[in-house]
Amino acid sequence: MKRTLPLAIVIILGFLFVGYVFVPHKISQDFYDWYMEWMKAMSPFGVILGIMSITMTHTARIQHKVPNWQYSFVTLIAMIFTAFAGFAWGTQEGTPYMWLFKNVQMPMGATMFSLLAFYIASASYKAFRARSAEATVLLIAAIVVMLGQVPVGVSMFGEGINDLTQWILNVPNLASKRGIALGVGLGMVATSLRILLGIERTYLGGGE
Amino acid sequence: MFEIISNWVAAFLTLCIFSFLYKDNPFYKFAEYLFVGVTAGYTIPLTWEQAFIPYVYRPLFLQHNFILIIPAIIGIFYIFTFSRKLNWLSRYPIAFGMGTVGMGVPLSMHASVLVQMHGAMIPIENINTLLVFIGTVTILLYFYFSKAHTGTYGKVVKIGIWYMMIGFGASFGYTVMARISLLIGRIQFLVADVLHIIK
Amino acid sequence: MNIFERLQKLDRRWIFLVVAIAIILPLIFPFNSKTYTTEPTEKLYRLIDSYAPGPNEKPVEKDRAVLLCFTHDASTMPELFPMEIAILRHCFERKIKVFTITFIASAAPIMDYAINTVKEEFPEVKSGENYVNFGFKLGALQLPIILGMGEDIAEAVDIDAEGRKVSSLPIMKNIKNYNEMNLVMDFSGSSAGGAWITYARSKYGANVGVGVTAVMAADEYPYIQTGQITGMLAGLKGAAEYEKLVDVFAANPDPNKKEFSRELLKDPKWDNAITDKGIAYKFKQARIGMNAQSVAHIMIIVFILIGNIGYFITKYKQKQQQ
Repeated sequence: MKRTLPLAIVIILGFLFVGYVFVPHKISQDFYDWYMEWMKAMSPFGVILGIMSITMTHTARIQHKVPNWQYSFVTLIAMIFTAFAGFAWGTQEGTPYMWLFKNVQMPMGATMFSLLAFYIASASYKAFRARSAEATVLLIAAIVVMLGQVPVGVSMFGEGINDLTQWILNVPNLASKRGIALGVGLGMVATSLRILLGIERTYLGGGE
Repeated sequence: MFEIISNWVAAFLTLCIFSFLYKDNPFYKFAEYLFVGVTAGYTIPLTWEQAFIPYVYRPLFLQHNFILIIPAIIGIFYIFTFSRKLNWLSRYPIAFGMGTVGMGVPLSMHASVLVQMHGAMIPIENINTLLVFIGTVTILLYFYFSKAHTGTYGKVVKIGIWYMMIGFGASFGYTVMARISLLIGRIQFLVADVLHIIK
Repeated sequence: MNIFERLQKLDRRWIFLVVAIAIILPLIFPFNSKTYTTEPTEKLYRLIDSYAPGPNEKPVEKDRAVLLCFTHDASTMPELFPMEIAILRHCFERKIKVFTITFIASAAPIMDYAINTVKEEFPEVKSGENYVNFGFKLGALQLPIILGMGEDIAEAVDIDAEGRKVSSLPIMKNIKNYNEMNLVMDFSGSSAGGAWITYARSKYGANVGVGVTAVMAADEYPYIQTGQITGMLAGLKGAAEYEKLVDVFAANPDPNKKEFSRELLKDPKWDNAITDKGIAYKFKQARIGMNAQSVAHIMIIVFILIGNIGYFITKYKQKQQQ
């Protein structure tokens, strides 16, 4: 009941979906429409999980007075206020909710990622060493591609650098990525098949 | 005026995040925790408006399609993830969602494996196609770990390693470009939209 | 400690400062530079351009359309937003029917912002006739909508971002499914059109183009070679290339020069866009960014070379001492 029934649901639905891919009959389409209607009704509740997780984590931090616990108030107040703004004043353009998204969430999200530029420069200086022949080849390929992408590289070395970059991307890079993609594709098919046949059950979680 | 204040708020928060580059400080911590809170709060009204109202409330209460009470209840079972006793109930919505894995098997097999294999089986007309063929085969041999990579087999597999190093070098070159682009975007915002130095 | 040992132990905050200066200066002092277009971008441009109505055709009756799928959040906007703007500008200039959709909540405002930014320059473009924003659809609905559009787009999407029934809109004349809406452009920082290739292309033969961050670009070449991906815009460079193509052809004031031609592309006057006040800043953002990119790349290469020279000299000295 606790593990068997969910497993049975996955296996039965899985095989029905395999049938859906190959069977063009109306009954197959009706099954698909039924499944999607039920998924649409089920999916909004997944968000509750995330909200509960954040709330529980930060209230626990405040209760146990862990280091920097005061900042958890910032998170909880921001979450409550943003949600309240969305419900009270709507989510259209020009509302406080959209203002928060455009001037708080968007800039900070973009800035978090932009920090990586500094770290990649620091890593290039401190860690990128031609310790072996393979590492040297990697380094040379990286430098050629970096020069080929920018106008300055082409001005310094002529259009040949652009052609060399395209050759690297279309020949050795293509072969490399194809080999890796085939491996990943086969892995994905194998994992999907294991889930379909009920061999892989990690999605059910631990416990009885 | 309002737009100017909005831009300055965004600029202040941007600089709070950048201050981490010097060292961790209260401004950065404040911005980090604020970001998590606003991101979480943002999804709640959006999910309510775009998912709950059209796909749960309207069909159930306005269109009287009462069968949908079953998936709604199954969806509510998600919250039992946090309960020690009733944790097993949360497996039901997950299991229902996992059903589409059956569709993934033939379609991924087609898109990720068969089409790629078909693309790899091209006539060897020139040096480039020969190099692509050799590279693809040697890399696939490299990933076959059931045989030890020694002797002649090891030498053949070494060619695959060289190909992968060139591929990773190309990826690194592109990664540098990507990361720098993200920083350029933020600096463009500060320089153009906030300080109006360029327009 | 000699200079090389000191350089090896340099505090990384000095490196951060050099990076910041290397990027700020080219943005404050913009200069013109040549943008070289590559085959994946040109291929995509030509495909989208082929959807333009003929001289005797009404745009609303054309039986071709493009779908732009925004699959990213604000963190990857610097690379993807300029390409979205460039493609929307191309579509509005050439009166190509364009739809926009997203399955990520945080991309919905980005989509609105992109459409409004370009629409400012095209007051004659109308929602429901020249373009439609399908809006945000829940992630769980991605698969049903992708598959549903293979049969009937209006039925799969149902309502647009403004709450209108898609089937009632004038733009849907002669547009039923992927046979007519024949190109899907997926702008993404991670999935790179995966779902569209697996489901829309495999089952319905839809063309799939991708606008990806540069991180993903190298991984997509096998899919370009097999034809699963029709064309690709790779990062800020891809955006800069497309901006140039739109300037040279779609936005060309001469109506006889709107068709793609390699001869026209070689004209050096098109490389003065950055200092040309006639082109709005929003339509040359990527090209301005590429100047800073150039300086940053040279800086990174210099860092790599200095780091390695220092490493080898230090290693040689250590060997000698032993």
